[in-house]
Order: sequence, then C-alpha cells, then structure tokens
Amino acid sequence: MELMGYRRKDGRVGIRNHVLVISSVSCANGVVEAIGRSLPDVVAVVHAYGCGYGSTEDVLKSSRVLTRLADNPNVGAALFIGLGCEVLGAENLSREVNNKPVEILVVQKDGGSSVTTARGIEIASRFLTELSGLERTPAPVSDLIVGLECGGSDTFSGITANPAVGITANRLVTEGATVILSETTEMIGAAHILKHRGATPELGEQVERLINNQEKKVREELGELAGMVIAPGNIEGGLSSITEKSLGCITKAGNSPINEVLDYAHRPTQKGLVIMDTPGYDIDSMAGMVAGGAQIIIFTTGMGSVAGFPAVPVIKVASNTEMFRKMPGDMDINAGTIADGKCSLEDMGQEIFNLVLSVTNGQRTCAEVNRSQPFNYLKQGPTF
Amino acid sequence: MKDNVAVVVRSIEKGSPIVVEGEYMFDACEDIPRGHKVALLALSRGEKIFRYGEPIVETTQDIEPGGWVHVHNTRPISGGT
Repeated sequence: MELMGYRRKDGRVGIRNHVLVISSVSCANGVVEAIGRSLPDVVAVVHAYGCGYGSTEDVLKSSRVLTRLADNPNVGAALFIGLGCEVLGAENLSREVNNKPVEILVVQKDGGSSVTTARGIEIASRFLTELSGLERTPAPVSDLIVGLECGGSDTFSGITANPAVGITANRLVTEGATVILSETTEMIGAAHILKHRGATPELGEQVERLINNQEKKVREELGELAGMVIAPGNIEGGLSSITEKSLGCITKAGNSPINEVLDYAHRPTQKGLVIMDTPGYDIDSMAGMVAGGAQIIIFTTGMGSVAGFPAVPVIKVASNTEMFRKMPGDMDINAGTIADGKCSLEDMGQEIFNLVLSVTNGQRTCAEVNRSQPFNYLKQGPTF
Repeated sequence: MKDNVAVVVRSIEKGSPIVVEGEYMFDACEDIPRGHKVALLALSRGEKIFRYGEPIVETTQDIEPGGWVHVHNTRPISGGT
C-alpha cells in the first residue's frame, strides 16, 4: 500500500513539508515568535529551557529533542535562533541536522532582536519558496512511524477509542509500518502481561523492567499521591484494578509482538510495534515520539484533549458521542458510535486506518486547522 | 482466555435485560452503573476475571450471571499487581 510523501535526503519520508523556526534557548523566544507572526506559514516553536541545566543527562536530552524535531522528515527546512551565551547554542544544534537545509541566527552576534528578526524573516521566506517547489511522490506505508497517545481518558476510552485504534495499529503493522506505544506510566500494573508480548524473552524482560522501574520512581517521588498518577479517578468509573486500567490504555497498540524498547526521543530501528519510554504527560510524550521520527500521531481522548503538535498531524479519536458533539471542530473521528451500537470495533478500526492514510496524503487534522501545536519536552533534573 | 465479564454502556437497573452483541443473555440481578462490569456466567469465589483476554482481578465471593463485578466483590490478583 502506498502514500504520497516528501522523500528526504536521508531516505526517510515526510508527510508534511514545513519550515521550522525554533529557539535554542527560551531567551531567544521573542525573535522566534516575531518571525512566526510575520510568516504564519512557518512552524514557530518556542520552549522553556536551553540553559541552566542541573545534569548532563538533561543537556543531552534537550539537545536530542530539539535537533530531532528539526530532523523529523515532516520538516523540509529549519532555522535555529540562538541567544549566544546559552548552554545549548544554535550552532551546536544545527550541526546535528543533516537531512535538509538548516540555517542559524544568533541574536548577540547578528545585530540584536530587530535585525535578527528581519534576517530570520528573509531566511524563512526563502525556505518557504524553495519548499513550495517540492512535489509529493509515492512511498510505501512501511515508511510511516505512527505514534500512539491517549489523554483525558474516560470510562469509554478502554471500550471504544483504544480498542478501535488497536485494530488500526494491527493493520499498520501488517502493512510494514512502525507503531510506537508510549506513556510508561500508563502501563503500570500490566508489566506481567506485556512481558509476554515481547518478540523475544529478552525484550519481554526489558519491557517488564521498564514498567517496574517507572512504578518505583512514581512511588518514590509521590509517596501517598502515587495513586493519583497511577489510577486517577477510575474506581468510580468502573475500573476495578490498575491492571484493568492499564490494559484499557495499551489495547490501542493492538496485539502485535513488541519488537523494540526505546529510550525517550530515540529513533526506532525495528518495524512493527515498539515501546518508547515516555511520561504520561501528553505533550512531553508526543515530543519523544516526534523526536524519534514519528510523522503522525493517533490520539484517543474521552474528556476532549485539543492538543496537536508542531509539524506533525495529530488525529483526535473521541471515545464518546457526547464529547464529540460538545467540541465541534476539535475531534477528527467519533469512536463513541461503537458504544451507541452504530458501528463495530472492526469497522471503526478500518475507518481510522483510512483516515490515517488521508491525513498522510495531506488532509488536515482539526488540530492543524486550529493551529494547536503546544511544545514541551521531558526534563528530569533541577534547574540552576 | 475469553472474557467472563462485559462492560455496560449505559446504566442498567435490576431486572432489566443484558444484551451482548445483539443477543439476550439474562436479566441483571442488581443495578449496574454505566461503564461498570457485569458477570456473563456464574463465577465462584477465587475465580479470575478476564477482560481484554487477560486476568484483571479475582473474585472474593460467588457471583451470579448478571451480577455487578467491582471492588466490593473482587481483589487484585495475588502475585500480580
């Protein structure tokens, strides 16, 4: 099966062709935002860090996320805006991106805020013109990396949206694509079950270790409050154990064997179903998957999350009809029809698969239309 | 393992019919709130409850078909979490 995408220099395929303008440190955010206001067609991304890190691990993690967002195949050209005296530095970041045109500007060297903004607008306009000449070409569906996410889950998520997406995930794996199951926190209580889904016994043990470590971390950090993170408000909704809750979450990955366990923001080396170690916080989790090369995300929600992501289409799958109707223009598809008795799980899984293909070929998602593209990423240590 | 419970998509009153995939099963033997689980067959004490084909809890008492299955008559499986 084929899709129409943009083949990049490194062989990967983008399903969008964005110009990304991104700051290397939050101090340069003003310039990035000014460029974004002048050129609404660029994806202008600002963030809260870039300096003051308390650990080498956080420096490496930040640098990995920012460079790999620029390196994502949906980005056709990137412009880094730095301040000059920060830890991360625009020049260092730009050196890691080799599959597309990249330029940098540094506010302290390039004439201050207003001159840097004017030069940034010039560069980004040139990128926009250059990219508009690129044509989509056929590519196999196996070139896709699809991220899975759930946020604002409700009682129906585990009955409608998640199992339907599980059917979509199985279909994507059959077509040779890579599917990332994320959010380690949401797997707590299901380690003994997911262990048996590892493609090899070693992978099974890796999965079990990953989830048990996360549970330990949550319990150590939060003490009595751990239950709020592990099983928020679920007993009232009908869930009887953490295991039942987590099974409802992971059902969106279908039942393919787990072929790889990835660290946060690392690129998959295997096709099929893989797990990435990300937190339950949706934006940080999506950042990990997009940095890992995901070109598209399927996001199930019960309460109604409206979050998209920069440069990457996010398909919103509603778990119930009431919310779908209450938030017109935010949800791309209504899996609540399953509970209404109007659609079977199988048919909904197929519909979502078809929607993934349409979006891949250019159909815009609600979050893209709304320009909902929050950005944040995982940082663990203190700030100094 | 095949699931031995189902989730009700709307609140069920005691005595009203439980229909699974278009097929009448039996009447509910108690009120079951929306989103909660109903036993699809007679469950004896200590039996594992399966959902998504996986064991999620075990019963702490016998439960009739059409009975409400939740934290009041189940517990986490010993050895699991």
